[in-house]
Amino acid sequence: MIIINDLTKVYKLSKKQMLEQKTKKNMKKAVDQLSLTSKPGEIYGLLGPNGAGKTTALRCIATLLKPTQGKISVSGLDTVKDSEKVREKISFLTNEIKLDPQFSPKYMFNFFGRLHGQDEATIKRRREELFSYFGIKDFEDKKIEELSTGMKQKASIAVSLVHDPEVVIFDEPTNGLDIVTARSVTDYLRLLKEQGKTVIISTHIMSEAEKLCDRIGIIINGILVKEGTLPQILEQTQTDELEDAFFELYKQHNKEEA
Amino acid sequence: MNGTKNIIIKELTRVFTDKKLIFSLFIMPGVMIMVMYSIMGNLMKNMMTDIEENIPTVYIQNAPEDLQQTMEAVEYIADISYLSSTDQTDSIKNDILYGNVDLLVVFDEGFRDTINAYKEQGDAIPEVKTFYNTAEDYSNAARSNFVNNVLSTYQQTLLAKRLGNMELLQVFYIDKDPESSVIVDQKKEDGRFISMLLPLLMNIMLFSGAMALGVDAITGEKERGTLSSMLLSPIKRSEIVFGKLVSLAILSSISAVIYAVSAIIGIQRLNAGQAGGDMGSISLAPLEMVQLFVILLVVVYLYVGLVSLVAVYARTAKEANTYVAPLMIFVMLGSIMTMFSGGSDRGLTYFAIPIYNSAISIQNLIMGELTMAQFGITVGTIMILAAFVTALITKAFNSEKVMFNA
Repeated sequence: MIIINDLTKVYKLSKKQMLEQKTKKNMKKAVDQLSLTSKPGEIYGLLGPNGAGKTTALRCIATLLKPTQGKISVSGLDTVKDSEKVREKISFLTNEIKLDPQFSPKYMFNFFGRLHGQDEATIKRRREELFSYFGIKDFEDKKIEELSTGMKQKASIAVSLVHDPEVVIFDEPTNGLDIVTARSVTDYLRLLKEQGKTVIISTHIMSEAEKLCDRIGIIINGILVKEGTLPQILEQTQTDELEDAFFELYKQHNKEEA
Repeated sequence: MNGTKNIIIKELTRVFTDKKLIFSLFIMPGVMIMVMYSIMGNLMKNMMTDIEENIPTVYIQNAPEDLQQTMEAVEYIADISYLSSTDQTDSIKNDILYGNVDLLVVFDEGFRDTINAYKEQGDAIPEVKTFYNTAEDYSNAARSNFVNNVLSTYQQTLLAKRLGNMELLQVFYIDKDPESSVIVDQKKEDGRFISMLLPLLMNIMLFSGAMALGVDAITGEKERGTLSSMLLSPIKRSEIVFGKLVSLAILSSISAVIYAVSAIIGIQRLNAGQAGGDMGSISLAPLEMVQLFVILLVVVYLYVGLVSLVAVYARTAKEANTYVAPLMIFVMLGSIMTMFSGGSDRGLTYFAIPIYNSAISIQNLIMGELTMAQFGITVGTIMILAAFVTALITKAFNSEKVMFNA
């Protein structure tokens, strides 16, 4: 269970960043008073364009960033006060976080298993399970730098799930993957959901959100502009598909900004 | 602390399973240092033997008749040409300038007659004039050999003939047995040269080891995105920092030992090439070895910490290397200062200056002069600074700005 309450995250911009973003303000609100709840046995999808604040929100849940305002609780634990305990419960997968290229998937899996305080027998059992599910066994002893993008992503997912987490946070999980690999990832997310895990993902792929997510939150310029199941969103925006609904909302909210 | 242990194991595995890394970090620098010193030693040795074995080309003008006897007596070997007083010497001087001839010796005309005619003060004293080229090793050697062996013996012979009793000239002796005159602490004497060089050498070796590894292990991991995966583990940031620093310290120590051993082997080869110029050896008592070990241990941790502190704030490895270079100069300066301040006694406050204190402590240790107070203050201050640096790195690890550029 993830409960986000009035989450606001403000970045201080350096002079260089201010120049790059052509702004005179030295602050940037990446996430603005975001509140949402993601429940066990459900896949929650954060949908938004690049730079909308999806990754920032997910990083705050994963304890990597501290909220400027507001509170996040993961399985009843505060992400700031109990950050280590929160990290025990979660799995966080993002493109920027990678595995050491000099090691094999097997070594990395064992290493992170130990960091999570698991015993060797449990690590071995989890490894058998996950490596056979994702088809990693064939290259488990190869160095990660020798693997293809898809293989790397599969290994990253398997390693991030080593400790059988209650909460799974995936930032654009299928980004850069071919259809076959992407499918195996989304299938596994469904499996996690069936196991009663709390799953939250971010995406900008409409079809993925439509098919995979039980509830969708549309985030534009750091603000959660619409939240609900797919039919609810379509009904409220009076559209037939998610892409149209998204553009409808995008037009409305970008106009307000201007 | 379990996290720390696992991280140390992983970091060491990373290095020791990578053949290329082992080669570039440990084997190549070690071999290079050894080869460099050996080549220097061999070249010097060759040069020495070459000069010794060279038969000089010597011209002697107006040579007295009995000079030949003296040269035979001292077994002087040279390719000698004799000139008469009418021969021109300009072309020979020119040849000396261009290194074709090594020495020209000119005796005054009627050399022996003038000496024989000497009766009282004010009478003429003849001169032997040598011409040689100070820029030529062969010429230098030929001249000093001729003056020291041939001419001084010849002079003694003539003096003995004139006076009959040589002891008239001696008046008194100075140090008939020079060996027994020297009162010296052999250890201090032996350690003098090495104590000058070793602190610098050790500091540089330790720092360059830390530099090569630290930037990759911190900034490199940050750049590659592998550090954040560790930040997601349910362990304290301080455990990660400590694991990183300890593993880096272990690796830097290994590389420092390899560098030092290669340098010592190399220097010994270099030593062999130097005629008489012994660099000395060092011998340490067990307690002193422990002290040296402790000092090196805290110093290597401090250096690793300093490099890591810079590395953690840098965004790219390139940036990190730019920042680390001035730090290296700073460390070198601290140890170079010890080279020129000799063995003068320093107050205890000097031992509270980090980096500099490690250099003077090592220096005193080798000379057998390190007191427990000096040792304690040195290790204490370095440990305090190291703890402070570790805390700063942990703070940086906790900073979103530093870790995620957020």
